[in-house]
Amino acid sequence: MYESQRALASPVRNPRMATVIGRLLGAAFLICFGTGLYSHFLQEPLDWMRFATRPEFLYQVTQGTHIVAGIACFPLLLAKLYIVFPELFAYPPVRGLVHFLERASIALFVGASLVQITIGLLNTYQWYPWPFPFRQVHFALGWVLIGLLVIHIGVKLPVITRYWSKSTSADDDHLVDAVSNDRSANAEAVRLWGPSRPGGVTGRVLDYIDATPRVAGGVSRRGFLTTVGVATTAVVALTAGQTFTPLNAVNLFGPRKKGVGQQGVPVNRTSEQALVADAAMAAGWTLTLAVAGTERSFTRSELLALPQTEVRLPIACVEGWSQMASWRGVRLRDLADLMDAAPDSSFRLISLEERGSFSKTQMGREYVRDPLTLVALELNGETLDLEHGYPARMIAPGRPGVLQTKWLSRIEAI
Amino acid sequence: MTADAGSAGVNGTGSGLNPPPAGIPASTGRRMRGIRLVLVGIGVLLLAWGAFVLFDSVRLTRIPGVALWIAAAIVLHDAILAPIVFALGLALRRVGRRATGMVIAIVQGGVVVGSLVSLVAVPLIVAENFAPANPTVLPLNYGLNLGIFWIVLALVTAALSVGVFLRWRQPVAALPDDSGR
Repeated sequence: MYESQRALASPVRNPRMATVIGRLLGAAFLICFGTGLYSHFLQEPLDWMRFATRPEFLYQVTQGTHIVAGIACFPLLLAKLYIVFPELFAYPPVRGLVHFLERASIALFVGASLVQITIGLLNTYQWYPWPFPFRQVHFALGWVLIGLLVIHIGVKLPVITRYWSKSTSADDDHLVDAVSNDRSANAEAVRLWGPSRPGGVTGRVLDYIDATPRVAGGVSRRGFLTTVGVATTAVVALTAGQTFTPLNAVNLFGPRKKGVGQQGVPVNRTSEQALVADAAMAAGWTLTLAVAGTERSFTRSELLALPQTEVRLPIACVEGWSQMASWRGVRLRDLADLMDAAPDSSFRLISLEERGSFSKTQMGREYVRDPLTLVALELNGETLDLEHGYPARMIAPGRPGVLQTKWLSRIEAI
Repeated sequence: MTADAGSAGVNGTGSGLNPPPAGIPASTGRRMRGIRLVLVGIGVLLLAWGAFVLFDSVRLTRIPGVALWIAAAIVLHDAILAPIVFALGLALRRVGRRATGMVIAIVQGGVVVGSLVSLVAVPLIVAENFAPANPTVLPLNYGLNLGIFWIVLALVTAALSVGVFLRWRQPVAALPDDSGR
């Protein structure tokens, strides 16, 4: 075990580097957790919860950040694991119950982190090659990981505080250099076991490793940090264009592309998947509003005859892409007033779609009363495409795409 | 001194439950201990809540799948990915033993950046074969994009390496007798 640790010794594998990369990774985890919780509660609000409707691109930013920070975790997490890899060969492997629990928590932390970012990434293009439900497991693992992060910080706090700032770490950097460059660990091994190499496979391998020239510590550390920085920047810059317009030109690896889709807007769930094409195209379609026992149905032309409002709002999806668009239709607030709905009532939105977890959703009063919330009938100057929710869909500021109900059928005051 | 250096360097990154490193006053140590206990306590509560959410929202028959994936991720990293990275690093240093450390660092950096971007990009290419849910999902030619990315990366890495190498050789060539170098 000591042999393994010695062979793996490197100027970048030191506590200061673990602290530096660990801080960035920890920040990324916290950002993912915070934005993830926000998205979760938007979709499944507790009764008392109210949400901000401005800025209208709020969800685009929080969820775009969720995905960007998650993708940034790939280089950061692998860099962190690279730095602390020799710890895997700690000897003795277990020094007692507390040490066992510490190592077990690290193992779970590593495994769960890798799974979390992997399933999160694949979910952004709706690929689910695993034997469990995505949403529930991703949410539960979020709590698990944040718990493990807090435990990890607690366990490592003396190391973290000691190596937090460069000035207090300087001495130890020197010591680490001593290990990797001056071969003092090698000398220690020789002192302990005598100069017994090369002999046997292990001996030959280690001798080969020892004979490999080392790169100076300073170059190694700067090179490592630069590499991690460039890699993180690259994976973010080459994917984030699916939500952040300035990066659209270098969107090489985003699962969505701005402007690609019917009427210039990408689609998440198609009419075919939702099995709504027949009902949506039927001549007899009406939108029914139900408020306090009164029901009233509107045909599409009746809705078009009401005062129309045009708004510019982004569709922002949980999968991290977003697309700004022009929407035209009837203010939901006007419809609510027409039906004499109480100002503080929340609405239930029901789609023609009969299955699917978002066929019935709720909309809090802050969105119902917002002047930007529309029952949209037109998109980017044309009649709403079937794939975007024809005959009518909801569009509201700052809500996830799955709650912008397509193929509306019924709206009820609660 | 040698032994101390060894233990600080090799073991210093972990084993956080060891006594605090020398040089931290006892009072700080006691306060530190309190903060650590609180953090670990909060963490355990959050972890327990996460486990409850998992068992509450996911059918029991699906839980082994989650455990399997977590275990597989650990094995994949610790037993496959990390040794490959180690061997590659070693090989690169061997091959590049005549070059300056800066050039080795740049080439190493280029390979690592390319690999990490590929790690994110290759699943897109694989997923394209599974017929995406609709034409607006995965609309780009990701294989082509990855090829372009690698070419640009190789050019940039080569240009940087050559630049550094030339700058490194310059003073050597200027010396009348460089046998020492």
